[in-house]
Amino acid sequence: MIKYDSVTKIFGVGKEAVTALDNINFTIKKGEIVVFLGPSGCGKTTTMRLTNKLDTITRGSISINGESIAEINEVKLRQRMGYVIQEIGLFPNKTIAQNIAVVPRLLGWPRHKINNRVDELLHMTNLEPGLYRNRYPAELSGGQQQRVGVARGLAADPEIMLMDEPFGAIDPINREQIQDEFLRVQSKIKKTIAFVSHDIHEAIKMGDKIALFDNGKLIQYDVPEVILTRPKNKFVADFVGADRALKVLGLMRVSEVTNFKPQNIIAGTDNAQTAHKFLEENDFRYGIVVDNNKPLGYVTLKNLKYENGLVIDVVENYPHFEEKSSSLRDVLSYMLMHTLMTFCVVDDNGDFIGTVSYNDIQRAVKKSYSDEAEKDWKEV
Amino acid sequence: MSTLKFIMEHNQRVLHLSLEHIGIVGLSLIIATIIGVPLGIMITKYKNLAKPVLNTANVLMTIPSIALFGIMLPVLAMVNLGLGKVPAIIALVLYSQLPIIRNTYTAIKNVPPAVVDAGKGMGMNRWQLLKEIEIPISIPLILAGLRTAAVMNIGIAAIASYIGAGGLGVLIQQGINRVYPEMILSGAILVSLLAIIVDGGMGLFEYLVTPKGIKIQRKLVQWESSLKN
Repeated sequence: MIKYDSVTKIFGVGKEAVTALDNINFTIKKGEIVVFLGPSGCGKTTTMRLTNKLDTITRGSISINGESIAEINEVKLRQRMGYVIQEIGLFPNKTIAQNIAVVPRLLGWPRHKINNRVDELLHMTNLEPGLYRNRYPAELSGGQQQRVGVARGLAADPEIMLMDEPFGAIDPINREQIQDEFLRVQSKIKKTIAFVSHDIHEAIKMGDKIALFDNGKLIQYDVPEVILTRPKNKFVADFVGADRALKVLGLMRVSEVTNFKPQNIIAGTDNAQTAHKFLEENDFRYGIVVDNNKPLGYVTLKNLKYENGLVIDVVENYPHFEEKSSSLRDVLSYMLMHTLMTFCVVDDNGDFIGTVSYNDIQRAVKKSYSDEAEKDWKEV
Repeated sequence: MSTLKFIMEHNQRVLHLSLEHIGIVGLSLIIATIIGVPLGIMITKYKNLAKPVLNTANVLMTIPSIALFGIMLPVLAMVNLGLGKVPAIIALVLYSQLPIIRNTYTAIKNVPPAVVDAGKGMGMNRWQLLKEIEIPISIPLILAGLRTAAVMNIGIAAIASYIGAGGLGVLIQQGINRVYPEMILSGAILVSLLAIIVDGGMGLFEYLVTPKGIKIQRKLVQWESSLKN
C-alpha cells in the first residue's frame, strides 16, 4: 500500500519556484495497478519519482505500508521497488542475465538462486532463457528489450513496481501484446503498481484505478469506468475524449449484455415452412438456427418463404461467433463490418449460450451514463 | 643503410636509451592516469569544478615543452631536482592531463541518462553506479585519451633529453652537436617507431578491454548507418 498524504513538490526557489505537485492525496491499495495519467508536465512522473526518492518531497509525506519513506534509506527503499522506465535503460555492457540479476546481486542473493530467478523471469516474459541469457541488449529488438526491462524490475520480487511509461517506446502492435502479457503476469503476482502513462487507452486497459493529473493537481481518482462515464469536469471529459462511449465499450464484456434466452430459436432439422410460420406468427424478422447446441447461422423470412426442404438448406452463416469475454467494442465493430444487428454468443466449447444485439449494447451504454453527471460538469 | 649500421654497432646503448625512454613515458602515463581519471570523474559530479579544471589543463598544454622545462628549472632547483628525470616526468604528467581529463569527463557525461536513471532507481549507490555502469561504458573513450597522451609524450620525452632526462632524445641531441647524421636519424626513427608501436598497442588494448556488449552495440550502429548510405 502506498499512501500519498498532502504531497507537494516545488522545484526551484524564490521567483523561479515552480509548483510541480500541489497537495496530492490518494492511496494505492495492495495488489492494484494505479495509472498516473495526464498531459506532459502534469506532475504524474514527479509523483512517481518522489515515491522512490529520485526527487525529494517539499511538503507532505508518502508512506509504504504505514512507514514513511522519509525514515527509509534511499538505496534500501529503491531496492524494495521494481523500477521500469520508457527509455528502458538496460546496461549495454551487461548481458541480459546480468541486467536482470542487478538488484538480487545488490541484495546479496546466492548465485544459484539468482540464476534460477533469471530463467524464471525470462520464461515469464516469453524470452527463451537458453537463447537470450547471454546476449547483450544491443542484440534485442525494442519489444524484447522492454520485456527484459520489466523482468529486471521484477527480479527481486519487490512488493511495489514503479513503471514510467514502460511500453511507450514500443510500436503499437508489440505494445498491445506486451500489455496483455504483463496483465497476465500481474494477475498471478499481484504487485502494487504505480504506472505512469499519457495514453488514455493504455490507462483504461492497464489500470484498476486511474489518477488523472493536470497542472500539478490530482483532478480525479477512480476506476476507469467512472472516469469515462462520470468525468468530474470538462478537463477530464476532454482528456478521455469524445469517443468515451466507445472506450466504455472496450471495458464491457459480451457476457454483461448477453440475452441468454432468445425466443427466435429454430432447429436446423425443422421444415422450412413450419419455421416460416413460427417466425411470422411471433413477428420475428429472422431466426437463429441451432443444432445440437451448436449455432449454425440465421434465416430470414425471405430465405424461408419459397423453400420446401429443411431449414438447414437455406441457413446463412455467421461470419463469426462471439465469446463471453470479448469486448463490446469488438462486437460493435463486427456489427458495423458485416451489417448484422445480432451475433451468437458461444462458450469455450463453441456451444450456443445466447445472443448479443445492437439494442442490448446501446441500452448498456445508456445505463452506464448517469444524466446528472453529464449535467454536473456542464455547469462547471 | 648507414643508420641501420649505427644502430647495430651501438645496440647496447640504443637499447638502454630506448628502455629509458619507455620508462619515462610509461611512469609518467601511470601517474597521469592516477591523477587524471579520478579528476575527470570528479568534475562530472561536482559540476562547478569542471570549467576551471578543464581550463587549467588546457593552459598547461599550450605551454611549449621547452619553455615548461625552463620554468620548472628554478623551482625544482630549490629541492635540487632541477635537471634529470624528475622534471621530465612532472612535465609529461602535466601535458597528459588535458587528453585524459577531457576524455574521461566527456565519456562519463555521455553515458545515456536513462541508463544512469535506471541504475539509480534500482538502488545502486554512487560507487556501484560508477564501477558497474559508468566506467565500463566509458572505457573506450578514456583509453583513447590515454592513447593520445602516450603518443604525445613519446615526442615530448625526446626533448627532455635537453634537461638530462636521457632517452632516445640523447641520440638526436648529441648527433646534432657532433654533426653526425646517422646518429640523429637513428634517434629520430626510433622515436617515431616507438610512437607508432605504442599507438597500435594501445589501440589493441582498447579493443580488448572494451566490454563485449559495447562492441556489439557499436558494430550494429555502424551497420545501420551503412545501410542508410
